[in-house]
Amino acid sequence: MLSSLLIAFQPVNFFACFIGAVIGTLVGVLPGLGPAAAMALLLPLTLKLGPTAGLIMLAGIYYGSMYGGSTTSILVNVPGEPASIVTTIDGYAMARKGRAGAALAISAIGSFVAGTFSVIALQLFAPLLARSALAFGPAEYFSLTVLGVILLSNLTGKSRIKSLMMIMIGLMLSAVGMDPLAGVDRFSFGFESAQGGVSFIALTTGLFGVAEVLSVLAEKEEPVNLLPVKFRELYPNLEEIKRSIAPIARGSVLGFLIGLLPGPAATIASFASYGLERRISKHRDEFGKGAIEGVAGPESANNAAAGGAMIPLLSLGLPFTPATAVLLGGMLLHGVTPGPFLMRDRPDVFWGVIGSFYLGNMMLLILNLPLVGIFAKIVRVAPRYLMPTVLVLCVIGAYGDNSNLFDVWVMLGAGIVGYIMRKYSYEPAPLVVGLVLGPVMERSLRQTLIISRGNISGLWDSPICMVMWFVILVVAILPALMHYLRANVGSRWGRAKP
Amino acid sequence: MDVVTRKELTSSLILFLFGVGYLLCNTKYPLDQWANPGPGVFPLMVGAVLAILASYQLIQSFRKPKPTEETTSDERGVHSLIGSLREGKTEIKPLIMIVVFILYLMMVKWVGFFVSNSLFVIITSRLMGARDWGKPIALSAGVNIFCYFLFEVWLKLSFPRGFLF
Repeated sequence: MLSSLLIAFQPVNFFACFIGAVIGTLVGVLPGLGPAAAMALLLPLTLKLGPTAGLIMLAGIYYGSMYGGSTTSILVNVPGEPASIVTTIDGYAMARKGRAGAALAISAIGSFVAGTFSVIALQLFAPLLARSALAFGPAEYFSLTVLGVILLSNLTGKSRIKSLMMIMIGLMLSAVGMDPLAGVDRFSFGFESAQGGVSFIALTTGLFGVAEVLSVLAEKEEPVNLLPVKFRELYPNLEEIKRSIAPIARGSVLGFLIGLLPGPAATIASFASYGLERRISKHRDEFGKGAIEGVAGPESANNAAAGGAMIPLLSLGLPFTPATAVLLGGMLLHGVTPGPFLMRDRPDVFWGVIGSFYLGNMMLLILNLPLVGIFAKIVRVAPRYLMPTVLVLCVIGAYGDNSNLFDVWVMLGAGIVGYIMRKYSYEPAPLVVGLVLGPVMERSLRQTLIISRGNISGLWDSPICMVMWFVILVVAILPALMHYLRANVGSRWGRAKP
Repeated sequence: MDVVTRKELTSSLILFLFGVGYLLCNTKYPLDQWANPGPGVFPLMVGAVLAILASYQLIQSFRKPKPTEETTSDERGVHSLIGSLREGKTEIKPLIMIVVFILYLMMVKWVGFFVSNSLFVIITSRLMGARDWGKPIALSAGVNIFCYFLFEVWLKLSFPRGFLF
């Protein structure tokens, strides 16, 4: 650890880390421009810095964007990047109660703790964990995604049936575009722009951002007046800090483990953490209305997942996310080959990147905490000035994904649907879960059936699959069983008592 | 029939019809065999699950009308879209906003992103309660300058150009 810090603290590396962290935070704040796109755009710039400094800057953008994504989620209910979607549920609710500063501060602290944890775990367990991640084949991924659907179907505690239906719609939308295995164009109805699938950014900015603006417009004329906030109220109080400690710890571990797996790990980690916190919290009734645990856990999980995703990249040379794929491209351009021999052949690069995680996490905490007060003031800007700005940023975010106006139309459509969903008490977050999990679920299902030659038992042959299917059955059946027992056995007990 | 039950019925019916429509569209895509499942398999499964869940909710809504819930902050005092359109109150502004948005997107190709953006910000700001013209115009100028320098100049994202700019 000491040697990694010494490398990271060299002036040019320190500067590169700082620039990367600032750019990453800005990228995370802007809805639509994700870390992969920002890293790709800035890759030519990093080539001028040399391999260690260049890769440190790219890594800085990556985890900086995890920090920044929560800011707009909390302040204006528009997720800055997919991994911050779930933060909108309780983070924005806290902001509406005048606790935006506390939410931002806990998010920054949780991200710092989780990021530091994931770096330490990365150093200690990288080879072992990489091998375990490789034990996951298509059948394991399919059962994992089904487990994710079942676990996350009760994300917000409202109607489970409604959440499941929204997840199904997300899965259905994920099938739009080119089929991943056969290359057949599905559900595009002749639109060439739809052949690439539904833009995730367009859908989420529509469902959350545009829908929020329409909802604000539908509010009564009188604006919501937030009470004036004293300086010390900008930051979390003692109770909020105490309630955040355990979720941050749990989110760090959960996020790190999920980060080892391919796919949108940070997004899944944040949803999984929210679901976990909601189930075990003593303040369950506060979830959805501004529970600090609903911010602390998911924000820690998504940062820890960012660290976890580095393990397959650095140890095996396998990028499991678009952002780490760009990082791999950057490494190759710099003449660095990640994999089992990276630590031996280029210790300066390996330890420099790891050291930059420590340094970058510290920088981000130092940068973000004092800015909490400034960011919290954004909530107080009148909607007649704030909302048009939010809309423009949403439009640019949706357009910037593929430089295609079609995605902006998709965003508008999603916004209208999101507004109607709110009227009819349907939550948008489960739909996003379905959209994220859909491609992995379909690909793994079909690959499993191909490998097992149509034998459906291939879906639960391995020990890992059996364990996961058992958990799926328990989680799916248990609530219904408990409900039945409470309703029938409880009433019989009531009649039997004298 | 109370408001909540009506909403459940309407939404369940829409979702059921959406699921059925999806399944009908899916008939174009081959299912092939289990040993090599085709592109129609996964959409068939999820579409069927949605149709089943929606029909379950539809039946439940008929069988057990729920007591009227307290309106949540999300509902913001509006009971149904049609009802409030009849009343002509809070849903008018979102409808106007949607129309403005559609016109904005149609204009982008003709007059360019920044010109249509300027008009869009001004109109949206006025719709959201700005009483004068000065502040919306200033806001529009500020947003455009910010977007131009950040996205066009620095991040090299090129926006559609029209005949004006």
